[in-house]
Amino acid sequence: MGSVNDLENFRKELASNLKNTEKNKVIIKIAMSTCSIATGSKNILDYFNEAMLKQSSSYRIITTGCTGLCHSEPTVEVKLPGSEPVMFGPVDVKTAEAIINEYIVNGKSVDCVIGRN
Amino acid sequence: MSCCENNIQIKETVRSICAEFNNDPNELIAILHKAQNHFGFLPKEVQNAVADAVKVPASKVYGVVTFYSYFTMVPKGKHPISVCMGTACYVKGAEKVLKELEKELNIKNGQTTSDGRFSMNTLRCIGACGLAPVVMIGDKVYGNVKPEEVKNIIKEYVPNV
Amino acid sequence: MDTKQLKIALRNCGITDPENIEDYISGDGYAALGKCLSENDRKQVIEEIKRSGLRGRGGGGFPTGKKWEFAAAGSDKKYVICNADEGDPGAFMDRSVLEGDPHSVLEAMAICGYAIGSDEGYIYIRAEYPLAIKRLRIAIAQAEEAGLLGENILGSGFSFKIGLKYGAGAFVCGEETALIRSMEGKRGEPVMKPPFPAEKGYMGKPTNVNNVETFANIPAIINKGADWFASIGTEGSKGTKVFALAGKVNNVGLVEVPMGTTLRELIYDIGGGILNGRKFKAVQSGGPSGGCLTEKHLDTPIDYESLKAAGSMMGSGGMIVMDEDDCMVAVAQFYLDFTVEESCGKCVPCREGNKVLYQILNKITHGKGEITDLDKLKNFSEVIKSTSLCGLGQTAPNPVLSTISNFYEEYYDHVVNGKCAAKQCRALIEYRIIGDNCIGCGACKKACPSEAISGEIKQTHLIDQEKCIKCGACIKKCRFNAIVIE
Repeated sequence: MGSVNDLENFRKELASNLKNTEKNKVIIKIAMSTCSIATGSKNILDYFNEAMLKQSSSYRIITTGCTGLCHSEPTVEVKLPGSEPVMFGPVDVKTAEAIINEYIVNGKSVDCVIGRN
Repeated sequence: MSCCENNIQIKETVRSICAEFNNDPNELIAILHKAQNHFGFLPKEVQNAVADAVKVPASKVYGVVTFYSYFTMVPKGKHPISVCMGTACYVKGAEKVLKELEKELNIKNGQTTSDGRFSMNTLRCIGACGLAPVVMIGDKVYGNVKPEEVKNIIKEYVPNV
Repeated sequence: MDTKQLKIALRNCGITDPENIEDYISGDGYAALGKCLSENDRKQVIEEIKRSGLRGRGGGGFPTGKKWEFAAAGSDKKYVICNADEGDPGAFMDRSVLEGDPHSVLEAMAICGYAIGSDEGYIYIRAEYPLAIKRLRIAIAQAEEAGLLGENILGSGFSFKIGLKYGAGAFVCGEETALIRSMEGKRGEPVMKPPFPAEKGYMGKPTNVNNVETFANIPAIINKGADWFASIGTEGSKGTKVFALAGKVNNVGLVEVPMGTTLRELIYDIGGGILNGRKFKAVQSGGPSGGCLTEKHLDTPIDYESLKAAGSMMGSGGMIVMDEDDCMVAVAQFYLDFTVEESCGKCVPCREGNKVLYQILNKITHGKGEITDLDKLKNFSEVIKSTSLCGLGQTAPNPVLSTISNFYEEYYDHVVNGKCAAKQCRALIEYRIIGDNCIGCGACKKACPSEAISGEIKQTHLIDQEKCIKCGACIKKCRFNAIVIE
């Protein structure tokens, strides 16, 4: 980028892409910081990567840093199109399965919801 | 581990590591990090070779090696065990975990088992206080470790007989 | 859940992908740098930071804008350094910021470089943080690729590059003069100030050192304005502070609260109270330089001055909660053990004095303390505080002084009555069998590794105190609550 204008234009483009993604896709955020990884978030990430392939909904998986919720790692945040994000934790493969089959597919609530600060 | 390399080979390797940093004495710590990565530890021969390459007295290299706890002059075990002794781990009972490890491996903190499989040391907070008490074996972090779990954790690293 | 938190330094942590610069830019990433380069001259940037009231988050609390102003004077080659040598046991704020939002630190360092007239910055990071190092490397490469670091940033004519330097495990290197010496490949021993790093720092050149969290606040201040930032917090402490809440608290984690939040709100409302319903005893802030505060301090608002007045300090943000099972003498000993180990050895009061403090504490926890030891502890502490060379020694006795003043009766109990109420000091406790509860099952006898328990089956058993090594094996095996610690 050669100027501040370039940067601002790029930002606008990215922001509108993001808006589109949020409108049309399920966004799954998985925390991948040292503490999350130590509690097994890598397995959860692998699970989502694999299991979501079999789903018809279009989605984006984003790995993030620390959510600050060390007491509930591994955490997964799911945002369905048009609704507020919901945070789950601690998530194991079994709850991950429920998150996909119940919440993402049917919009039904799943145990292990934690609040978002 | 390449602890059996002879002196000429050691010098050769050290020379090429130092050259990557333009033999700059200001980069001494970066050089020692790289050397320890390669050799597993920093014996006298390696320190002398570093001193030669960056043209500083060997005493200065020794001074730096002994100042920083990350550098070690004795070979570590194949599976280095680090017990976190940060405050959060301390109040959650890290000392009991340490004692149990010492008992289980029959070595003291800072030593290596005679078969070279395990070495043990304590460190000051790896920043995973949410999981206290924490034990690291190699790169793997074990959280919320209870003394009675130590035996099973160790077992993961011992091949079945 | 808890609305008491306000995230400024952690605004992107857990929200964006730290390994993707586009995620950062799509919010307001690098907008602050763009704003500085296109709209503000150097003086205006420094003025803005000064007006915001931001103070150093590494523990010292020095006004950041003033620090930048000192470093900006003169036209020599200058350096910007980010202190990421997070060595406080029990603190992990910096690691979380670097792992979760590395670009905000890079952007802030570039802004600082622009403001003070520097073209080169370094992040001094602990080698023990491999993930943070990896993400910083990725972030630097992406920012260079995008033209947000390197030569002629955004066509402004301003150039700035950032490199990494690794620590090697020395707590004292968090002190800025020691950090600079370590960056130069030397032993990390502090030197006398003045000259301050702002005059003569890395490679003898003017150098500005700020902590990770301090930097993480900068882009938000530039984007939202100094007035916005200054409207948060208390009179003398503006903005928010990140705390690593750990120890015996239910919701262990990383929290960010406005200055002025009370300790009670932090521990009970956000932290969810004490683990297992135990009773709160103390909260330790400021790491080995800080102090232990008690029940009566719970309504203290968190800011630099109030915590200091209460006998602790802000520190870098470790907040360790302790309950009734923690012995405060042993806690003080734990911190002194740390300082003795980490003292660089350059000045006598710190090297020798702290060792003496440790030995006295060790004597007390082993049941050999005398009442005169308490005065000795206090006197030695004062001497070490007033005569040590650097911050490490000057603050090392704080855990001793604060526990003596807040938990005097506990020290007294140890030296006069030979009792440790928390039952942590082995030399001061005894395992006993309650005759009424013992059914003589023999489980404890079998479990005892030192053959200290005698008694026939179906008869009340007895522990021989001479032989007992106080390992606690018997109490774990007893199913009839027949063994107590006294």
